[in-house]
Amino acid sequence: MLKSIVKKGMIGVLVGIILVIVARLTHFPPMFQAMFFIYAILGAVVFILLDAPSMNRIEGGKAVVALVLFYVVLSGVYIAGASLWPQYDPEVEKGKIKKILKAKRAKTNLGKQEELIARAKALAERAKSITKQLNALGAGAQVASQGASEVAFTMGAASGDLVALGKEQWDLQECYNCHKLFGIGGKKRGPKLDNIGNLMTPEQLYEKILYPKRWMTEGFEKQYKKGKMPDKYRDLMEDSEVQALVAFLSTLRDTSVTTPKPIKMKLK
Amino acid sequence: MITLRRSLLVVVGMLVTGVTVAYAQVPDAPPAEIPYLGNRTGVWIVAQLHILFAAFILGAPIFAVVSEWLGYKNQDPRYDRLAKEITQITVILYSMTALTGGLFIFVLLATYPDFTTWFIRHFFLIFAVIYPLLFIAETIILYTYFYTWDVLKGEKKGRHIALGVLLNIVGTTTLFVIDGPTSFMNSPAKAAEMPLIEYIQTAGLWDKVANYSWMPMNLHRLVGNVTFGGFIAGLIAAYMYMGSKSDEERAYYDWMGFVGNLIGVGALLLLPFMGYLFAYELCDYDASICPYMMADQLSMFFEMQGAMVGLIFLGSNYYIWLSMKRIQGVEQVRISGLVMLTVILMPAVMGFAWWRFPVPDPISLIFLGLLIVLPPLLSKLPGLRFTVSSFTMIKVGFLMIVVADAIWLTPHAFIATGAMEGEELPSWASELALMPAKNAAAFTLVYLTIVNYILYNRAIKRGTIIWGKIDFASQFVLIFLAFSVIWTMGLMGAVRSLTRKYFHVYNLVYDFTPESFTPTLRESGVWITVITLIFYAVVSFAIIVTLRAGDSKEPVAEASPVPAGAK
Repeated sequence: MLKSIVKKGMIGVLVGIILVIVARLTHFPPMFQAMFFIYAILGAVVFILLDAPSMNRIEGGKAVVALVLFYVVLSGVYIAGASLWPQYDPEVEKGKIKKILKAKRAKTNLGKQEELIARAKALAERAKSITKQLNALGAGAQVASQGASEVAFTMGAASGDLVALGKEQWDLQECYNCHKLFGIGGKKRGPKLDNIGNLMTPEQLYEKILYPKRWMTEGFEKQYKKGKMPDKYRDLMEDSEVQALVAFLSTLRDTSVTTPKPIKMKLK
Repeated sequence: MITLRRSLLVVVGMLVTGVTVAYAQVPDAPPAEIPYLGNRTGVWIVAQLHILFAAFILGAPIFAVVSEWLGYKNQDPRYDRLAKEITQITVILYSMTALTGGLFIFVLLATYPDFTTWFIRHFFLIFAVIYPLLFIAETIILYTYFYTWDVLKGEKKGRHIALGVLLNIVGTTTLFVIDGPTSFMNSPAKAAEMPLIEYIQTAGLWDKVANYSWMPMNLHRLVGNVTFGGFIAGLIAAYMYMGSKSDEERAYYDWMGFVGNLIGVGALLLLPFMGYLFAYELCDYDASICPYMMADQLSMFFEMQGAMVGLIFLGSNYYIWLSMKRIQGVEQVRISGLVMLTVILMPAVMGFAWWRFPVPDPISLIFLGLLIVLPPLLSKLPGLRFTVSSFTMIKVGFLMIVVADAIWLTPHAFIATGAMEGEELPSWASELALMPAKNAAAFTLVYLTIVNYILYNRAIKRGTIIWGKIDFASQFVLIFLAFSVIWTMGLMGAVRSLTRKYFHVYNLVYDFTPESFTPTLRESGVWITVITLIFYAVVSFAIIVTLRAGDSKEPVAEASPVPAGAK
């Protein structure tokens, strides 16, 4: 028995090494190479089990102990198995969800209450701070000028950041899963959008995002027919968010990248 | 007395539901917080436990009535005994289903009161009228079915089988009805160019029930429940075999384990395709679900699923191997070498066929048909009549399980999300990560398992099977299979639920709680294992209480013992 295990184990290791060498020569990344080695070892284990001698009968307390041990091993193996695969970092998603849900939550009763409380707290803090400054300096004019500069900064940021907000929407709505942009993302489900700003007006882009069936892209007839572009954004995105996304898309005017032509569709 | 206790359990389950519904009517009741676990994990555990019990009580009666019918048709009392024992355990677990169902609603209402109330209001007719009525009807029929077993026999057996069929019709209807609200959470009904929220306010109950994923979910769960019932029957047989004191009992439970595994594997062969249909419909509903599942946050969950499927196929075929090893005269059983070649070539040929003629192009199915039909036909031609032994064929089959599973497991990249250059499959092998290759791998697993069963069938026709003399390791294989199937169900249940992302109802009702993110596979693996162990503990207890405790009172089997050597 031992001889058979050693022999089959060695064959498994040998096959595994050959697979790893072939995988390396054919440019498989390291994780794939490791998996090929594991498959070879699994194959060896299977063949060891196939030729293993019959197991003796276990009875009474020994059978119970064997069962409990078996469950402990199975549980351990499955938890370890689930832990060994690469893990997604939930913190990345949490940040996105927080941003997406912020506006939605504000619309709910609870959100409105929370907003009012937050505003009241902020006002109280501000009043406290102003009082403190007035008491310390006795110069009201200085405080007023500081307030004015704050307003100007906020307005500047709001107008200047529309495109940045649109880029943020691109990431939050995960448009990159279907559309390639700047050479990143996309899996043939949707067209590259690097030059979309030259092909569609902001109004047309707005319509395409909210009503995808009204526009089709050349070369993507099959995807159009299957309704690959989700028609959910009119339900999920705030108007301001769509406007920002449109502003961002309108800036995409890289003529060196071929973005296929969108065609207006007549719906029945 | 036992009936009274069981009925009381069911009533307690219903009372819990009633109290919680009343609680939900208290305006602005703050959500309860489950300590240590958190609300989501608490709901997850209770919901999954309820689904596992429900899967058993819906799957086992299908298994039982088919077994009873086979016993009646073949005049083989083993089948009748098997059916009765399974039903006996179903009766116990039925109470657990009611109890966990009540607990599920209780926990849901306490932790997510606003959403749950909204949800119940949208499906009020189902939750308040249709589902309870079906549940009551099923309770009455199940208890009547069980307690009339010894009354409706002989000439009246047909009536008893009809009662079993009725039980399954009501059970399946119950499943389909409750799948309506469940699938609605994944793919709420929608209308073209109409805001979802407006449509849902005006949509009728049927529109909401018959949503995109309703029928695929029905089919997937129905087949899954039969698979589950089969493997749990195998588990019952393994426990009883291990504790058997006589050769007759060992012979019977050895046979029962084989039948359970056969039914489990038979239904399992359909399951990958049902799962594929379900996923296909979800992606058709909203294409952004697909990358979330297959390429993004849940991609490694599918790697784990692939590993589990591979292990289940290895386990079930290993059980066939152990079953065949005890058949006297198995050495003479042979099969055409062309069949072996087909098993070896199938991943490559079908992978090419589906790549060249993608689904739903019927040309790929012609390839598949030819690949299956030609070898047995060609093997009759002179010069092509070479054969291989059954053991060689099965060993090659095991090799191909590893190969097919390796294809199933090959992703675009072993990264949970956002693969970078250098981590992806080389471009020349990129087809390995796509559906044509996965389909080919699934068909290979199914095909070689069928070939193994054909070999087994030939072996028992030519040789002599000695029931009760199977390798003792086979009992651990049966337990392993049941454990792995339950674990996989838990995993895929989590995947289905997580595809709703940060919504209670996808794209419609937001989940504003801090727990609305995708948990890691590691965390999910821990909770799925905990759920599996709890379920296992309860089922083990039910088996011991029902069947082993009954042993001391009834040492002699109700049906005729199986003679050693019977087929």
